[in-house]
Amino acid sequence: MGKFVIRRLAQAVMVVIAATILLFIGLFVLGDPFASSGDKVVPPETQAILREKFGMDQSLPMQYLTYLGNLVTGDLGIDLNQRRPVADMIGAALPNTARLALIAIIIDVIIGVVAGIIAAVWRYSFWDVLVTIITTLAIGVPTFVIGVWLRQTVSGVWIFPQVPRSFTELAPWYTEVLLPAVTLAIVDAAFIARLMRGSMLEVLRMDYIRTARAKGLGERTVIMKHAFRNSIIPVVTYVGISIGILLGGAIITETLFQYNGVGYLLYRSILQNNNPVIMAIVTFAVLIYVLLSMIVDILYAYLDPRIRLS
Amino acid sequence: MTTTPDPATAAQAVFVESAEHAGPGEAPEPQQQGKQKSHGQFADMWRRFRRNRLAMAGLVVVVILIVLALLQPVISPYDPYDQNLLNTLASPGGDHLMGTDALGRDLFSGLLYGLRLALLVGLLTMLGSMTLGVTLGALAGYRGKIADGLVMRTTDIFLAFPFLIGAILVVRTFGTGVFQVIIALVILGWPTAARLMRGQILALRESEYVEAARSIGASDWRIVTRHILPNAIQPVFIYSFTSIGVAVVAMASLAYLGVGVPPDTPEWGRMINMGIEQVQVAGKDFLWMFPSAAICLTTLVFAFVADGLRDSLDPKLR
Amino acid sequence: MTGSADIDLDGPPAPLLEVRDLRVHFKTDYGTVKAVDGVSWSVNEGETLAIVGESGSGKSVSAMTILGLVPSPPATFPSGDIFLRGRSLLKMPERQQRKLRGSQIAMIFQDPLTALNPVFKVGDQIAEMVRTHQDVSKHTAKKRALDLLGEVGIPNPAVRINQYPHEFSGGMRQRAMIAMALANDPHVLLADEPTTALDVTVQAQIMALLEKLQEDRNTAIVLITHDLGVVASYADRINVMYAGRIVESGTADEIFYSPRHAYTYGLLSSLPRMDQSRQARLQPIKGIPPSLARVPQGCPFHPRCTFATDACLPQVPELMPVDGAGHSAACVHSDRVAIAYDERVTQ
Repeated sequence: MGKFVIRRLAQAVMVVIAATILLFIGLFVLGDPFASSGDKVVPPETQAILREKFGMDQSLPMQYLTYLGNLVTGDLGIDLNQRRPVADMIGAALPNTARLALIAIIIDVIIGVVAGIIAAVWRYSFWDVLVTIITTLAIGVPTFVIGVWLRQTVSGVWIFPQVPRSFTELAPWYTEVLLPAVTLAIVDAAFIARLMRGSMLEVLRMDYIRTARAKGLGERTVIMKHAFRNSIIPVVTYVGISIGILLGGAIITETLFQYNGVGYLLYRSILQNNNPVIMAIVTFAVLIYVLLSMIVDILYAYLDPRIRLS
Repeated sequence: MTTTPDPATAAQAVFVESAEHAGPGEAPEPQQQGKQKSHGQFADMWRRFRRNRLAMAGLVVVVILIVLALLQPVISPYDPYDQNLLNTLASPGGDHLMGTDALGRDLFSGLLYGLRLALLVGLLTMLGSMTLGVTLGALAGYRGKIADGLVMRTTDIFLAFPFLIGAILVVRTFGTGVFQVIIALVILGWPTAARLMRGQILALRESEYVEAARSIGASDWRIVTRHILPNAIQPVFIYSFTSIGVAVVAMASLAYLGVGVPPDTPEWGRMINMGIEQVQVAGKDFLWMFPSAAICLTTLVFAFVADGLRDSLDPKLR
Repeated sequence: MTGSADIDLDGPPAPLLEVRDLRVHFKTDYGTVKAVDGVSWSVNEGETLAIVGESGSGKSVSAMTILGLVPSPPATFPSGDIFLRGRSLLKMPERQQRKLRGSQIAMIFQDPLTALNPVFKVGDQIAEMVRTHQDVSKHTAKKRALDLLGEVGIPNPAVRINQYPHEFSGGMRQRAMIAMALANDPHVLLADEPTTALDVTVQAQIMALLEKLQEDRNTAIVLITHDLGVVASYADRINVMYAGRIVESGTADEIFYSPRHAYTYGLLSSLPRMDQSRQARLQPIKGIPPSLARVPQGCPFHPRCTFATDACLPQVPELMPVDGAGHSAACVHSDRVAIAYDERVTQ
């Protein structure tokens, strides 16, 4: 197990380094934030001063290493627009996104797992048909469209704050977070329900379920102990991946609902060509993804003892 | 959706007594047994697919959408780019079936143009990422060792970027335009196809019939093209339909965020953006409803087809 | 039968486990599948009853029905009943039936790899069996699991108890399954193809283990198998099943030395024998067993039978006594079979 963790860790570090190099090249080599573009004309002297100020007059490998060094010490640089420390900007937005992601995941895992188990255990029943219909529809409808419809029809109603926001009125966080969280959760919940149903149905056909019944265990124990532990394995994998997808999807959902999270910040930074902020946020997203997939792999090995050996 | 009760499978589950004869003995389909052998696996899939009403409905709509997209230049009532500042935000009905937008452009014509664009981007993205993904995935799976390590670590790197964010960054690097959007979606999309393909190949490479082919001295090329690809390709084929939907939504999302296609393009994501961000006049909901419904319909029907294909490939999972 | 503690005072002693005219049918799209169609037998303490038949002959369904694990619907039970010491199992409420499962009647299955839950330790799975039916602490249950593993001949049980099924070899897994099945000293052990998935050398070990445990505990064993060879030296009685019915029933000697049903004859002729000086040519039975939804008219075996005549067609032959007290066969041509078998053996 220890060896497995170490190998997986080394792999993760390699991926992060490679991804940040790629990102660095994309942002600073192929796109120059200080170059003139369209109607924005920047005099060459100004460009030179700016480049020096942001350390971009040095060789690329040097810049990258400096960036990496700063990253490790927690220094994410200064944003190009208002000269604020990027770390502070992210620090302000991050709790909001974390809250959003967490609530979305809680919603989709609970709904998805419960619906999936019900559908599988009472296969072909009314509830199964209902779950199948809803999931089939929900998977086909893009999160983006769900967000648009929720925003246009539900925001401003009851406790849900109006979007577009009026900046004089501050809504409590739990009302702000609800609609984006539901938006993010719907498609995922459908996926999880389906995954759980399929996996549970497969497990229920297994011989060891017959053994469990032959032991005289109650149906509840058979399902919640013997079948659950086996059928949850693919769901765990999916949830791990889905957190990554969630963070990627957060950019559109947060923007739609003007929710002050990292995704909305990234969107605004992209519009303003604010490279240090983009670099920091995307690096962060990559880190999260790599970390999560590592955790999933390790959790997977814990849940399924057969994997631990290989 | 095959939700009709199927006691045959339930009964069959009880009947599995020993591995030797389990199967056709218990649930007789005497006529079909002979047929199955003479038909190819895709013919078999199609036979099961046809029985799935939702999937068939999806397929019919997909075909209609493709025909509409092809005929767009002919059937479009107006030029989708034509502005008429004297008739902005007209409600649906009359001269304009779906009304006009803030610049007085005909919404229906815009939607048709958007359909053409969406299907073009969806199809080309699918073809691009499938070609790249299947080739590299097959290479990684069959060759193993260095090729496998190289391809898999590369997919690791690309998959580490959230799909939409990665696409935004690529479009930003290469500049605005439909072609750039396709490139971005292919770059972000191929690793999924490659992984899928590799997994299939790995499973099949060790299978007994491949061992058998190898033992009689078949060449690598023959083993891959004759024995592995035809069996490995089915899940990839199914995924290709899903990936069209993914590409359509991704382009719309990019456009909504103001990245990708030029701002004045009649593209669904742009139209939604204009409908909900720029026009905030009460009672003009049709501006965002029509394009979002169009996105929804397109992704939904492709999802139905993909779903139907999945079920027809593996009917016991439903 | 002597010394049974549970003698019914009002009448003759009821057999430990009795199956009476049992029918198990499944309604399917292809018609009614008659998996078990009028089967009767009984077994007593310390006895071994073998049920022999090809797959699809209904032998496993009978066992699952005894355990109450055949889902209904789709299954229906048009007639018959199962009695454990005179108590009807089919009429018993599910909750009570569950109490018997694993404590009075236990079962071991064909493939010990898939029959053990891969994500739980072997010891925990055995301890769970103990704790389901006995009110004991976790520690006591674990201790019992340890003893059981030792009893079924697993070396180093203290280590093995904390391992997962995939860390066991096939034979060891089946031993663990047996340990689990015997955890509550059941009166009846249903063994469904217990050795089919194992190597030949291991098969003999497992059968010997079952025999030894049976002697220690006076357990009744119902041994379900497709392989006549396995049961030869272990079974007291043998029921041969074909297409959901018993076609011949008798002691092991009767079945092996004077078969009276054409199907039994066929099974024996396809089996290599070491108890005969000259080896007769092996003759496999032609064709495959019929689908249980479309059992042929008359004697279900007649399309594959070398003895078949028009006499086999009008009706399904009843199980009739042939010779000896308990030997019976459901074959129109049982005399011709007997003669043919004698010729074959002495040729």
